[in-house]
Amino acid sequence: MNIWAYIIRRLLYVIPVLLGVCLIIFVLFNMVSPDPTLIMLGKHASLSQMEDLRRELGLDRSWFLQYLDVVKSAFTFEFGRSWSTKQEIIEMIKAGAIPSLTLSVPAFVLSTVISIAISLFVAFFRGTFIDKSVVFLCVTMMSISSLAYILFGQWFFAFKLGWFEISGYEFGFPDFVPYVILPVIIWVMLGLGPDVRFYRTIILDEIYQDYVRTARAKGLGEKVIMFKHVLKNAMIPIITYVIIQIPFLILGALLLESFFSIPGLGGITLNAINSSDFPVVKAMTILISVAYILFSVLTDVLYTLVDPRVRLK
Amino acid sequence: MAEKILEIKDLCVEFNTDRGVIRAVNGVNLEVYKGKTLGVVGESGSGKSVTALSIMRLIPSPPGKIARGTIDYRGENLLEIPFDEMRRIRGNKIAMIFQEPMTSLNPVFTVGNQIEEVLELHQKELSKEQRRDKAIEMLHLVGIPSPEKRVTEYPHQLSGGMRQRVMIAMSLACEPDILIADEPTTALDVTIQAQILELMNKLQKELGMGIIMITHDLGVVAETCDDVAVMYCGQIVERAEVKELFNHPQHPYTKGLIESIPSFDSTTGERKDRLPTIEGMVPSLFDLPDGCNFQDRCNFATDKCRGSEGEPVLKSIGTHHDAACFHPLS
Repeated sequence: MNIWAYIIRRLLYVIPVLLGVCLIIFVLFNMVSPDPTLIMLGKHASLSQMEDLRRELGLDRSWFLQYLDVVKSAFTFEFGRSWSTKQEIIEMIKAGAIPSLTLSVPAFVLSTVISIAISLFVAFFRGTFIDKSVVFLCVTMMSISSLAYILFGQWFFAFKLGWFEISGYEFGFPDFVPYVILPVIIWVMLGLGPDVRFYRTIILDEIYQDYVRTARAKGLGEKVIMFKHVLKNAMIPIITYVIIQIPFLILGALLLESFFSIPGLGGITLNAINSSDFPVVKAMTILISVAYILFSVLTDVLYTLVDPRVRLK
Repeated sequence: MAEKILEIKDLCVEFNTDRGVIRAVNGVNLEVYKGKTLGVVGESGSGKSVTALSIMRLIPSPPGKIARGTIDYRGENLLEIPFDEMRRIRGNKIAMIFQEPMTSLNPVFTVGNQIEEVLELHQKELSKEQRRDKAIEMLHLVGIPSPEKRVTEYPHQLSGGMRQRVMIAMSLACEPDILIADEPTTALDVTIQAQILELMNKLQKELGMGIIMITHDLGVVAETCDDVAVMYCGQIVERAEVKELFNHPQHPYTKGLIESIPSFDSTTGERKDRLPTIEGMVPSLFDLPDGCNFQDRCNFATDKCRGSEGEPVLKSIGTHHDAACFHPLS
């Protein structure tokens, strides 16, 4: 079967999934959550004021029409306006995406590459002192609270040594660079523990396979065996793990963004939750869901490229 | 007498385990001759695979370690040459095929690719096209139908027998001096087994390599081998030319093995009522008895076997026939 036909078919499957996701979001936001007019007008609003506002927000219409609004926004990305700032939500997202992505993309790429490199290195020295100490270090790093990394980083590297900006953000390249270096480093440090342990397990699973012994019996060197034979087989679980993280990159990092005052989507989402700005929270939920579904399709497509055993059925 | 191409002397291989050090191979001596097949027979854990892996220096280390001995291949001790030199011998001069055809090939590369990889490594003068042609030729040689098509297929598209043929094609691509076959037919069904053994016999005649056939199946030995070594608890207990071994086994263990081959009664044609077995169990390598390792299962054991005169050593008891037994049978 043709790869394009497969992709189109997988994309058609997205439609029912998306309708289901919209239903869940609709139930959560339109049916379960408290009356938005109370939040927007406060306790002392008159009934007629509330009526007017409900009509303005379209909340007087049938539930089915309101559900259709959610579905429509999932396909068109028109989310309406924020209740608190009255801005177009899509414009807010566009503005917030840049700081978030300038932080999350380099951090994600770096942490993935570094973790896989360390895991290959450690797997090569499996069972030795090097291997054991790295695993020990990983567990230690995982056991320390992320707040400790952030506070220590800001105090020591930014405040004491003055190498980086303590917090803040500036738009445009290269102005943003000094602001994101420290959060990127912290992000990488935070990911290193769990990632190295995960990749190491995957690679060790492969290293003890029979085909590796065959490769050695052929006379291949350990480097070729690692990078060609083992890594290509390990790519299958690695792809799943890596790609499924990507949708969340647009969110940036809630904690890092708020500690470093980066005006990214993480911060926007956090503020929206604090001020009960439901349209924004809803928009972010829809956005992540759509991205998640699309990237899971991408994962399936990539499988077929890496693993010949995956059939395009 | 054929040319001697490999000589193993006093090989000892040890493994570190949680319960202490075990000696999986203990003082093994073997010789491989050009164009001949040496059978190494024994039960699971008798050290036959470890012996084979030692020749290739593929003992997983840690926990394994070659503690003593030499493996002479054309005047060089394989255990002492630098690792890079060993890599040039692996797959090129000495090749190996394994017990598990289903998992021994890399699932994500085509079979052609995997055969070409050996050629790329050891025959650098070949161009890409020549390598592909040679891969197809090898697949043809091992009897895979429409090799031009198969060469682009992945292992999962082939049956177990076909995969073992691919393994053989891969191991013979550089026309090695020695082929080590570690239970090559154990995972295959009987008709395929016969085909693979026949194929190996045929290729041996064409290419003239020496084969080390490791197996626990005396039927396989009878069909393919010229000489046989019987292993028990990491030691060779009997060694002879194949007919001599089957007709006049000297060690009670060998005799027991031969008697436990299922067969029909030669005079009446009836199936025997009960298949004779060797009573008891292989002793644990952690706690081997003094004297002969086979004493507890042997009907002829005496005080001598129980350690009063040390371990029995392999000694000649006829032309090209050695046994490690205080009371050889004839």
